[in-house]
Amino acid sequence: MDQLWAALDATWRILLVGLVLGAGLPTLFAVGIRSLAWGVGGEAGRHEEGVQLQPHPLGRVVAYALFALVILCVLVGVGYIVAHGLGWTVTFNGLLPVVTPKH
Amino acid sequence: MPYADLVTPEFVLLALVVITALAFDFTNGFHDTANAMATSIATKALTPKAAVTLSAILNLVGAFLSVEVAITVTNSVIQVQNADGTPRPELMADGGHGLLLILMAALAGAIIWNILTWLWGLPSSSSHALFGGLVGAAIASLGWGGVKWTGSGGHLDGVIGKVVLPALISPAVAIVVAMIGTRLVFAITKGVAERYQEAGFRWGQIGTASLLSLSHGTNDAQKTMGVITLALIAANPGMSTTEIPLWVKFACAFAIASGTYIGGWRIIRTMGKGLVEVLSPQGMAAESASAAVILTSSQMGFPLSTTHVCTGSILGSGLGRKGATVRWGVAGRMLGAWLVTLPSAALVGAGMWWIGHLLGELLGDIVVFAIMCLAGLFMWWHSRRDRITHENVNDEWEPGSTPTEPAKQTVP
Repeated sequence: MDQLWAALDATWRILLVGLVLGAGLPTLFAVGIRSLAWGVGGEAGRHEEGVQLQPHPLGRVVAYALFALVILCVLVGVGYIVAHGLGWTVTFNGLLPVVTPKH
Repeated sequence: MPYADLVTPEFVLLALVVITALAFDFTNGFHDTANAMATSIATKALTPKAAVTLSAILNLVGAFLSVEVAITVTNSVIQVQNADGTPRPELMADGGHGLLLILMAALAGAIIWNILTWLWGLPSSSSHALFGGLVGAAIASLGWGGVKWTGSGGHLDGVIGKVVLPALISPAVAIVVAMIGTRLVFAITKGVAERYQEAGFRWGQIGTASLLSLSHGTNDAQKTMGVITLALIAANPGMSTTEIPLWVKFACAFAIASGTYIGGWRIIRTMGKGLVEVLSPQGMAAESASAAVILTSSQMGFPLSTTHVCTGSILGSGLGRKGATVRWGVAGRMLGAWLVTLPSAALVGAGMWWIGHLLGELLGDIVVFAIMCLAGLFMWWHSRRDRITHENVNDEWEPGSTPTEPAKQTVP
């Protein structure tokens, strides 16, 4: 029974963090794609025949900012895997990862 | 060389165990290529060859990155080791023959089950196959008490805590995360031209797939390194339990990377084309969900199977996109394979142990090894009847049909 509770306790945490990162980051990426389409105009958006969409430079800025954020998160992920592989402990102080080398 | 003057039955057995462990690592590689790369191949974010090459390189890098010793990997389901990782003394008699035979039988069971599920094109967990083999061999040699069925208190351990509960929970979590992610992604990008959408998300897919491959290399190669190190200690009790010999690390890294490069095309096809029809945004949502769930669990020490998470995510991404086909028949077959992985590998492992035990030292060991090789070769030969390669891995999926025979003349 203890095992089941321990597993369920882990489950809701994994689900929560999984939703924030696993569903949240693709959502940010999607917002980036959308603003890039808006920023580029032209053929990137769905529109009526004969109407040309206007490019909006702001869209590109927002898009690249979002892509940079997603890439940063992926790099943090890579860093996390590397640190774990090397046997370091990674703890999260608030949101920023803190890496403690082993002993 | 500490082993040079030891060309005894124990030395032969040790050599066979090491070779078998590397073979298991190889099957682990091709069994799991699909986890990271199936959706990228299906959406053509990467060509099949590029995908397996990228994945193989990252697995190699990952395997070298891991310096942690996973020598207690066997200890999570069976009781053959003391708390510090050294083998229990009663198994160390006769130059460690008792322990070596358990490892040999367990690995043979795991390999046979891995190749069989590959032949059927079903993604199943290599760790569960290994655990199953260990459980079977331990029951055969030590009795029911040789198996660690459950952990103590709130520490997840044993067959229940390390295998059964995670297998039930992790796919469910992955399905929910991927489903919600997919739904959000499609809702947000609704007005964007399809061609544009696909191109953008392909980049996202490549990034997340790379993350998964790297993480696989650090985790899975370590398990085989642990098994080989344990075998070396059995034969050579003075050895350190905290250091992996460099050649073991090299051998394991290359075994898993070459397995990945060979590509389990049959499994890639099932996961990328069979389970659901995957579009790029879905693929990215599925892979992000897998990566997030795997890394979070690893941080919390929750032992899950990558295969279960990745399959759950792909299924969830199919549920999240309106109008996507989800082939429940395929999903059901996979679920069935997961349920029987541990018991099946255990049966084979136990059978192998009895064969090895009854035929006695040396002969028994060699016969077990030979049976494993023959079974593997037979299944490989069987697979030639409906070959799936990098050329036809993306053919349309029709129930009951096999893809067209790939053109034989095309030499790369």
